[in-house]
Amino acid sequence: MAMVNHKTVIKLENVWKIYKMGEVEVVALCGLSLEIKESEFIVIMGPSGSGKSTAVNMVGCLDIPTKGRILLEGQDISHMEESELAQIRGRKIGFIFQTFNLIPSLTALQNVMLPMVFQDIEKSEREKIASNLLRRVELGDRMRHRPNELSGGQQQRVAIARSLSNNPDIILADEPTGNLDTKTGKVVMDFLHSLQEKEKKTVIVVTHDPTLAKYADKVAYLHDGKIIKLTKR
Amino acid sequence: MKLDYIMYSLNHVKNRKMRSWLTVLSILIGITAIYALVSFGQGLQIYMSELATEMGTDKLMIQPKGAMAAGFDLDFYISKEEADFISKVNGIDEVIGMYAKAIEVEHKKQKKYVFGMSLPTQGKEKDLVYDMFTVSMDQGRELKSGDKLKVTLGYNYQFANKIFSKAINIGDKISINGVSVDVVGFFESLGSAPDDSQVYLTEEGMLLIFPETEDKFQYVFARTAPGEEPSEVAERAEEKLRKFKGQKEGQEDFIIQTFEQAIEVFGTIITVINAVLLLIAMISVVVASVNIMNTMYTAVLERTKEIGVMKAIGAKNIDIMFIFLFEAGLLGLIGGALGILLGYGIAKMGGSIAASAGYGLLQPVFPLWLTIGCLLFAFFVGAFSGLMPARQASKLKPVDALRYE
Ligand SMILES: Nc1ncnc2c1ncn2[C@@H]1O[C@H](COP(=O)(O)OP(=O)(O)OP(=O)(O)O)[C@@H](O)[C@H]1O
Ligand SMILES: [Mg+2]
Repeated sequence: MAMVNHKTVIKLENVWKIYKMGEVEVVALCGLSLEIKESEFIVIMGPSGSGKSTAVNMVGCLDIPTKGRILLEGQDISHMEESELAQIRGRKIGFIFQTFNLIPSLTALQNVMLPMVFQDIEKSEREKIASNLLRRVELGDRMRHRPNELSGGQQQRVAIARSLSNNPDIILADEPTGNLDTKTGKVVMDFLHSLQEKEKKTVIVVTHDPTLAKYADKVAYLHDGKIIKLTKR
Repeated sequence: MKLDYIMYSLNHVKNRKMRSWLTVLSILIGITAIYALVSFGQGLQIYMSELATEMGTDKLMIQPKGAMAAGFDLDFYISKEEADFISKVNGIDEVIGMYAKAIEVEHKKQKKYVFGMSLPTQGKEKDLVYDMFTVSMDQGRELKSGDKLKVTLGYNYQFANKIFSKAINIGDKISINGVSVDVVGFFESLGSAPDDSQVYLTEEGMLLIFPETEDKFQYVFARTAPGEEPSEVAERAEEKLRKFKGQKEGQEDFIIQTFEQAIEVFGTIITVINAVLLLIAMISVVVASVNIMNTMYTAVLERTKEIGVMKAIGAKNIDIMFIFLFEAGLLGLIGGALGILLGYGIAKMGGSIAASAGYGLLQPVFPLWLTIGCLLFAFFVGAFSGLMPARQASKLKPVDALRYE
């Protein structure tokens, strides 16, 4: 894939994250730098505890770094207030989690509509967008089901639909196939891939599975809070 | 404001049926009590103001102080001399003294203790009494002068098993403290059981059977002159009679009041009782509030991960705050709505108990403001109780909340 003319959407500059646990300090990230271009598919790999989730959470504005800068479309988010971060999360970022994290009391449709509730989108509009998204992930016949009435793969597809509901530019998926079998995992990955291909979305996937590297434009290998290897296709 | 939170909150209240119900129950009890008590308090006020207007605002009541009830204890009375003295006070048109005594009535070998009362039979005095108690005869005739051993009876005597097991008819003979008298009439219902079981005699009849009551009025009523302010006249008369009897202010053995004032005293007592009960109801609301708070803290803890997810998908702190506040308010509101229904039922039941006890006029009223007020109160108690848990929820850091298992 040609990388020319693509602008940088995410830039991590010498990012540190240190957790203080009483007397002990845990260094989760130490001087991580990474540049992600628009419409890139990035896979982040590395051993458990290497800081993958920490890094992705910061890109997703769920947390701020102890030191260093994170630029999102040129905007420095490393010192933003929680309310501003929430705003950015809601509009620009779609999250997909390993454990699906659907709201158990809500139906599939309501789950997909929820991010739009927080963006003040009108009810009829929300319903239209959400049902379209559910049809796209082939769950048009499961809209009124609650999460506990759906299989793992179906739940993850609802979660994907939910991540797309505010039409974000960036999709962050932290081990999206971790709880799925190989076949279902492939369906999910193919879908994420198509988002990048067809909708030019920037997709960041954290995984332990080396076979998923084939989807990536770039693979970042993390170790002890640093990138030790970066491969491009 | 995003009222779509309702969807989310409603779902949660529904899904946690048992716990929600227990929490709802706790506030329901308080609201039930408040609704029933206030509706009765309102009914009572209407009852009293009706009573006062019926009696007429120009009348005064002169009573001996310290008596339990008129006619119960002949040591407490207003003497004829005192009544005559009052009639001469400036601003008083006329005065009537009435005898009353606890009496023993016998009918077909059955004995009952009730109150007997003397009624004036003619002139201005009769007008004064009939002006206050606008009742007419249900059956038979009124007492007239010269009726010594004739009586009229309260409404209830006409029926079997109300006072006596056998009904009394016009022309029957009953005996009062061993003296045989003729029944000539029955009054219409006065609306309360004690009133409807009274026995009425003429003054002559009363003195004939109970010579010891002579000069010892149990009820003295006065009519104030037109254009006079009754409460001022009452004060003036009280002061004059005090001097006449050589008593110090505050130590007089009698009391002179307008009807409104007399009823107010009775009303104040009931209002105080009502207030004490309301206070107890409020305490139960406080308990409910603690209960709701506890439920909401548990909910926040249970849904920590959910809070993290909502924040990840764009919920701001204030959104989370409102979700939990609304949910707590909803618990309150449901409790309030059910409490109002139950309170309505209980008040209605109380009303029919009052009616069957002979106080048919005392009925609860349900003004709209009470219903709306109770609903709002319940909602805000809920929301207020949810304030701290909701704040805690809103302050959770997204990453920490997401990691919570
Ligand atoms: N909230 C926290 N408090 C303290 N330490 C933390 C916290 N979050 C992460 N860490 C630590 O930071 C390091 C990196 O954690 P992180 O979750 O980013 O690893 P990971 O690469 O995602 O691992 P895995 O593959 O197991 O998910 C770990 O040592 C972890 O214990
Ligand atoms: Mg991780």
